[in-house]
Amino acid sequence: MKEETSNNSRRKFLKSVGISIGAAGVVSGFSLLGAAKAAAQEPRETVNLLTQDGQLVQVDKDQLRPTVTEPLTELQKRGREGIAGKSFVMVIDLSKCRNARKCMDACQNHHQLRPDQHHINVLQMQDAEHTAPYFMPKPCQHCDNPPCTKVCPVDATFKRQDGIVLIDNERCIGCRFCIAACPYSARIFQWTEPKDPEKYKDLTYNIEANVPQKKGTISKCLFSADRLREDKLPSCVSSCPNGVYYFGDQNEDAVTNGTTHETVRFSKLIEENAGYTLMPELGTKPRVYYLPPKNRAFEFNGDLLNEENLH
Amino acid sequence: MKNTIKIIASLFLLFVFTASVAKGQDWNVPASAKNKQNPYEASTKNISSGKKIYNINCKSCHGDAGMGNMLPLQPVAPSDLGSQAFLIQGDGEIYYKINKGQGAMPTFEKTLSDEDKWMVITYLRSFDKNKKESKQVAEVVNPEVSDVNLVLDINNEEKKINANLSGVTEKGDRVALQGIELSIKVKRSFGYLDISGDDAYTNEKGNVTIQFPADLPGDREGHVNLLVKVTDDAYYGEVSVDRISSIGLPTDPVNPLDERAMWGTRANAPIWIILSYVGGVISIWGVIFLVLFQLIQLPKMAKNKE
Repeated sequence: MKEETSNNSRRKFLKSVGISIGAAGVVSGFSLLGAAKAAAQEPRETVNLLTQDGQLVQVDKDQLRPTVTEPLTELQKRGREGIAGKSFVMVIDLSKCRNARKCMDACQNHHQLRPDQHHINVLQMQDAEHTAPYFMPKPCQHCDNPPCTKVCPVDATFKRQDGIVLIDNERCIGCRFCIAACPYSARIFQWTEPKDPEKYKDLTYNIEANVPQKKGTISKCLFSADRLREDKLPSCVSSCPNGVYYFGDQNEDAVTNGTTHETVRFSKLIEENAGYTLMPELGTKPRVYYLPPKNRAFEFNGDLLNEENLH
Repeated sequence: MKNTIKIIASLFLLFVFTASVAKGQDWNVPASAKNKQNPYEASTKNISSGKKIYNINCKSCHGDAGMGNMLPLQPVAPSDLGSQAFLIQGDGEIYYKINKGQGAMPTFEKTLSDEDKWMVITYLRSFDKNKKESKQVAEVVNPEVSDVNLVLDINNEEKKINANLSGVTEKGDRVALQGIELSIKVKRSFGYLDISGDDAYTNEKGNVTIQFPADLPGDREGHVNLLVKVTDDAYYGEVSVDRISSIGLPTDPVNPLDERAMWGTRANAPIWIILSYVGGVISIWGVIFLVLFQLIQLPKMAKNKE
């Protein structure tokens, strides 16, 4: 009998606790609702905002929230991991390049670079004395066997699962071993304060854009990894006016032209146009392919240093 | 004296500059080239294929024909190729300009085939308001229809895609629509890959059947995102179907980080390199410690001897 009563009392106790917790929940819920209603009735300070489609709307000041930017650690983590299941490749059609240099402008804009700093550079090439000169854009080759990551003493530069080689400016100690190791001279060193430091100073460092740039560290082409996350083509690819660049995912066997937005089979494009990579003898396995400057769209317009020929 | 030289120099530069600008606008089309005639007829098929070539090769600078949304290039903006001011010239003249190019206009002599160039001209001519001779070929005329329906039938075994286009007539019958071009596309990361081939026009039963490329990769299970649409929205508005189908080649993406390699970060270094490095460190420090230890032992040994 005694046991039963004790059991009963426990049950009662539990019941009462449950009810009181439930009631507290309901009451607090109502009080929240009430508070919200009261807040809605009170006239609040409003702010005029322009929506994306160009309409002026009034928004309660309390409803405004600062834009949430990912914290540094999150950006670093996803930047190190890369985009799963992708394998990015670039194809550069040399027959279309006429040295418009829009790729360089877009790149320098995106990555906070001065006009003399290049993640991508358009070079004037002539392979031998009697061969025809041509223009060759040269970004980082994002090698599958990158010499640069081998020499980094602090794990600052690394390759991701989607094939992109990045540099973490927060880790980089500026030893410049990677510059020495890179056979393509794709890396630059920030000798001085970067461009517009004031403008970028409050920005959280994004490892996928190397922005804000940091004095005393290395910077390099990133295939615009931050844009790829939003399914956008890299800055250089989409800014080219002459259809030089194709970019895409090798796993899908498709590359898209940044100018014409035509999507073609990667393997066919390389096969039919005798695509090649730079310095294959080094075994670096670049991810940037070139199509030879045959059947050119433009005549070669001469010396780069001659101002008149620049446009 | 210096000033006059400067003035003369700047005048000369100005002259050279204006001359070059003027040169950019002038086209010297030889009379023989002007007489060339377009050997292709202005059929819907030709116009449609011309439009495709135009969109890939010309649109990025010239904009949509007739819309005037060309790139604002300096010093000479590209002309609107659908405007009457442009179409006043003969076919041969346009053909010559496509071939040769000038200034910012590339040459298409070798990058486009002759047929492609004439197709583009055929397409542009379709904007010409005073077309001298109407070469419209008698084509299939579909009845007025509403409720246009596009049905997809995918054969995963044979990798065949069949699309059927039909509409409801005024009498209420559902009839097949013939001679309408369809675009069959596969979604890729940055755009749609067109796999419809050259002749994706519906037959008298309203069907288009195409072979899906056997080596086109899908995801792990071979899933691809297909989009089939009526190419020209002008007929029935936007008619399209998308479908996810396991018609692609199943592809397992390779993660390069799965293997240990020399280029990998510390955590991904090859085992032999970790072992030989650690072994080297241990053996060198071991020798040093051994020597130190024996040095410490020396006085003890001396004591023992005594």
